[in-house]
Amino acid sequence: MKRKFSPSELTLGSVFVVLLMIGANIAIWFPFLKITYGAGSVPLSLQTFFAILAGIILGRKLGSFTVIVYLLIGAAGVPVFAEMSSGLQTFIYPTGGFLFSFIAVAWVTGYIVEKSQNPNIKVYLAATFAGLMANYLIGTPFMVASTNLVFEVPLTLTQGAIAMLPFFIKDFVITMGAAILLPKILGRLSVVNSSIPTHNTSQ
Amino acid sequence: MNQSLIIGQYVPGESVVHKIDPRLKLIIIFIFVIAVFMANNIWSYVSLYFFVFASVALSRIPVAYIFKGLKPVWWIIIITFMFHLFINSGGNVIVSFLGINVYEQGVFQGASIATRFFLLIILATLLTLSTTPIAVTDAVEALLKPLKKVRFPVHEIALMMSISLRFIPTFMQEMDKISKAQAARGLDYTKGKLKDRFKALLPLLIPLLISSFKRAEDLALAMEARGYQGEEGRTKLRQLSFSKIDYIVIISLIVFLVSFYMIRV
Repeated sequence: MKRKFSPSELTLGSVFVVLLMIGANIAIWFPFLKITYGAGSVPLSLQTFFAILAGIILGRKLGSFTVIVYLLIGAAGVPVFAEMSSGLQTFIYPTGGFLFSFIAVAWVTGYIVEKSQNPNIKVYLAATFAGLMANYLIGTPFMVASTNLVFEVPLTLTQGAIAMLPFFIKDFVITMGAAILLPKILGRLSVVNSSIPTHNTSQ
Repeated sequence: MNQSLIIGQYVPGESVVHKIDPRLKLIIIFIFVIAVFMANNIWSYVSLYFFVFASVALSRIPVAYIFKGLKPVWWIIIITFMFHLFINSGGNVIVSFLGINVYEQGVFQGASIATRFFLLIILATLLTLSTTPIAVTDAVEALLKPLKKVRFPVHEIALMMSISLRFIPTFMQEMDKISKAQAARGLDYTKGKLKDRFKALLPLLIPLLISSFKRAEDLALAMEARGYQGEEGRTKLRQLSFSKIDYIVIISLIVFLVSFYMIRV
């Protein structure tokens, strides 16, 4: 990390930390993102989408750095993770790997968008998909490791992958659905704020 | 959104636990995580229980606050316990009902894994309850300092953490306003096809993003106007320093760890 971050990058990153928190808990404000079935309900989260958005808007470096700050704030005990959870113990839960993977998610999406000369909807969708894959390719093995080592419940990688499949489909639909809106979102943002260090200006 | 939701569940107090240096608290938690996984017989678990409950008692924080931290995960603990209870078949049969045998080792393993989580969560909750997020941020900055050698921007991390902490309540209110404002304009995100529901995200996300970027820009301008240029030449408002309490805690911690190490097989 040779170049220091400028004040505007620092504040943008900080703001994105809060956005990640809101994305993870968006069901609080928008109940349509809540699937009810049987007795319980599964709040859907836009967490992965916001991590991807961090990569696209902030670039791979600031984006992944922002996610690290987000994880540290959660570890410090501020309820920023999904379902308003927090604390060091969250990282050794089976879902902890998905939190770690957001660093890679932001980096991968940022990298893809930065490398493309002329980002269009196809590039955004590819970047989003790559981010989603990073999320699950890191999160699932970690989940298997956590179940085996921390909870000492035997679970093979294949079983783990099968167990995660419904979640992957759910996240695929949500994230890709939101990614289709990306060009519209980014287009309107660039009109308002020219200081956003997007892929066009940072390199 | 209900106003009762508090960010950071700090409970003000004057107890010993409140006064311990936040750096020391973080170190204790890290050591405790390792210790919990190293415990291997009944007495070592008992000593860990003693450690955690002594800390809770010293903090003088109402137990009800502390058990709130267990709420989201108690069912994971119970399922894991039950799993080991019925699957593990080592040692003698203790009880058997409906043709299912419960073995000694199953009970021990289930209980020790449940204990791990129970104790870890209680201690982590205690940290949150007895320390302000700002103090934790300062501690994180101090503890990550060695990483500066490899050019990891530690100061920037701490700065971003404190800025985000300040913005969390603001943004939550902002979200409240945006969703109400759009509902007043007739935005309905409960009906229609999936595609339409995704489109309903636009009038919610764009105001949120735009207002947050504006805030970020304003703050950056304010920082530059005041001559912010990174860490060099910057002094601190809050200085961390070890007091008498901290040295007493360190000594008792060492005593505890040595005896813990001797108790385990």
